[in-house]
Amino acid sequence: MTTTLDPRELSAARRVMWTYLITGFAIFALMILIGFSMRMEQAGWIAYAPQTFYSLMTLHGIGMITAVAVASMGELWYLMRLETVLDERLAYWAWGFIVAGAIAVVISVLAGQFGAAWTFLYPLPFVGTWWPSWATGFYLIGVALVTIGWMMWCTQMLGCVLSRYGGFRGALGWDYVFHRRAFEQSGRTPPPPQAYAALVAAVDGVLTGTIGMIIGVALIVHWISPSVVIDPLWAKNLTYFFGHAFANLTIYMAVAGVYVGMPRYADREYHTSVALAVAWWGTLVFVAIAYFHHLYMDFVQIRALQYIGEAASYLSSIPTALVTVYGSLMLVYRSRMRWSLGSLFMFGGLVGWIVGGFGAVLDATIPINSDLHNTLWVPAHFHTYLLEGVVLFVLGWTFMMLEERSGSISSAAVRWLVGLGFFGGGGLFLLGFYIAGAEGVPRRYAVQPAPGPELSGLASVGVIILLIALVIVLVEAIRLAAIARRRTA
Amino acid sequence: MAETTTIVLVVFLIGAGCIIAFMTAVALSSLGKPLPQAEVSRMGYAARKWWARILGVAVIIAFAVSVPWFPYSGAKVLGSEQHFKVVAQQFSFTLPPSVPSKTPIVFDVTATDVNHGFGIYDPAGKLVAQVQAMPDYVNHLRVDFTTPGKYVVRCLEYCGVAHAQMQSSFEVQ
Repeated sequence: MTTTLDPRELSAARRVMWTYLITGFAIFALMILIGFSMRMEQAGWIAYAPQTFYSLMTLHGIGMITAVAVASMGELWYLMRLETVLDERLAYWAWGFIVAGAIAVVISVLAGQFGAAWTFLYPLPFVGTWWPSWATGFYLIGVALVTIGWMMWCTQMLGCVLSRYGGFRGALGWDYVFHRRAFEQSGRTPPPPQAYAALVAAVDGVLTGTIGMIIGVALIVHWISPSVVIDPLWAKNLTYFFGHAFANLTIYMAVAGVYVGMPRYADREYHTSVALAVAWWGTLVFVAIAYFHHLYMDFVQIRALQYIGEAASYLSSIPTALVTVYGSLMLVYRSRMRWSLGSLFMFGGLVGWIVGGFGAVLDATIPINSDLHNTLWVPAHFHTYLLEGVVLFVLGWTFMMLEERSGSISSAAVRWLVGLGFFGGGGLFLLGFYIAGAEGVPRRYAVQPAPGPELSGLASVGVIILLIALVIVLVEAIRLAAIARRRTA
Repeated sequence: MAETTTIVLVVFLIGAGCIIAFMTAVALSSLGKPLPQAEVSRMGYAARKWWARILGVAVIIAFAVSVPWFPYSGAKVLGSEQHFKVVAQQFSFTLPPSVPSKTPIVFDVTATDVNHGFGIYDPAGKLVAQVQAMPDYVNHLRVDFTTPGKYVVRCLEYCGVAHAQMQSSFEVQ
């Protein structure tokens, strides 16, 4: 890893990273408890009024995406700070906008009972509401603030990546791919793998943020003056572009930590290859156009876009399967891998990403989607690659930092307990979704038809096991942090 | 269709099991005698060429096989099929009381307020067809019912406080 930072700069960079990580984990902890209560309600273990359920569902959705995004942003920001100059003040401003937006959303949901789901699909925020109009405004402005913070992070990252690696040509590794001999003879090296994650996050991030602001401003204008009409199909396209790409980018930001961390654990080297560069070019495109699969059941959508949606959804899996995960397996295979919580989380995250991706690819097949669209199969696959993917990547990075700074790792017994909790409990939780989805149980139902409640009960048992593991993880993180503090004192 | 989702679930579970088993085996290999990275790279890159071909072929085949089954081709406004109007509104459906079986029909689906989903469940409770119900647009869903009986319609797009209770039914005769 390139590091030319002096101790003061390094300390400042770490403060930014921990600010983002701790914020992300704090929001995650609250949201997982809300999610757990929703599954218990669907199982009939507790009772919510429907208004309460749908308001909490709204908060859980937007909160979880924000949580994993913030944590991933902190991790990638730090990784790139080791490569180039990034302004800490701007990072704190971006963080401030995101936190301010999150607070506005929390107020709109908890005080105002806003409940149009995190997708706020037009015209639902304005029609048949049980919440006051101000709650809609608070929610929309809150999401806009989060988007502004996101755009600030992306634009800063984009500018720094482009200036560090020689514009788009250098940052993409164009000459490295097409004129490799001359490129290498000139003594140049391509950007490191994590820089590709930063480039894609920044470019697609600016794009998705722009789209998000377009639909966000349109909705705010409609909120101010209902006479302003919005086309529902146009709104749906923009909303899903924004939501899909934003959620998708969290994976690609978080996996940057695996590029850096896994070689350290395996005691092997990992460099940019032609395959890696080209794979990220593909990801750059597919992140932006795969969202069409959210509109498969909108038959009025232009037909060609449905074809593009399926093709892009299929193709987006290839860079992952062929380069990132495959490359990581090559790092681990018959290596001197040091297994700790950090490395277990990173490797487990790769498993979750691939398994969830497989479920998503099946769902992205249009004839299959006819049977699975908006059933519980959808939360099944996205919970797989978010909970057992992105969250594990970020936890892996966090524990790698804690382990390195403390010079200590968790005991084998703790690793087994956490592993069983995450994959046993997590697996049970996910299985409830998958089976219910295959049975046609609709998503976003406060009260589910059979066999939804029984499977929600099964999922809730899984969550209890998972929560026990998360408590152990928290205790271990605090223990390692305390050791690290004593060492540096 | 019910069989379709069962097959999808089984395929998924088998696939997930294979992925987990393979990746676990790779992880466990690190507990044995280590191999130089150069040797692993040589073997790995050779195998990746085949892996790339397999993935590429699988994607092309899956896409080609799926296209004829897309639900859009039969959903034409003009045609000899009988058309039945469906209107969704918070929190009910306006539906025909009955439709014929063993002949292609088209549901002309729209909504008057917000986005809804028009999901048709067969008498066994399995989801057999769906389309979005949108304000300002009409989606045409072509269905060929083969089994007579009572079909339940559920909303499959979150639409508000009584979303879970938004259901209706029609008879296939």
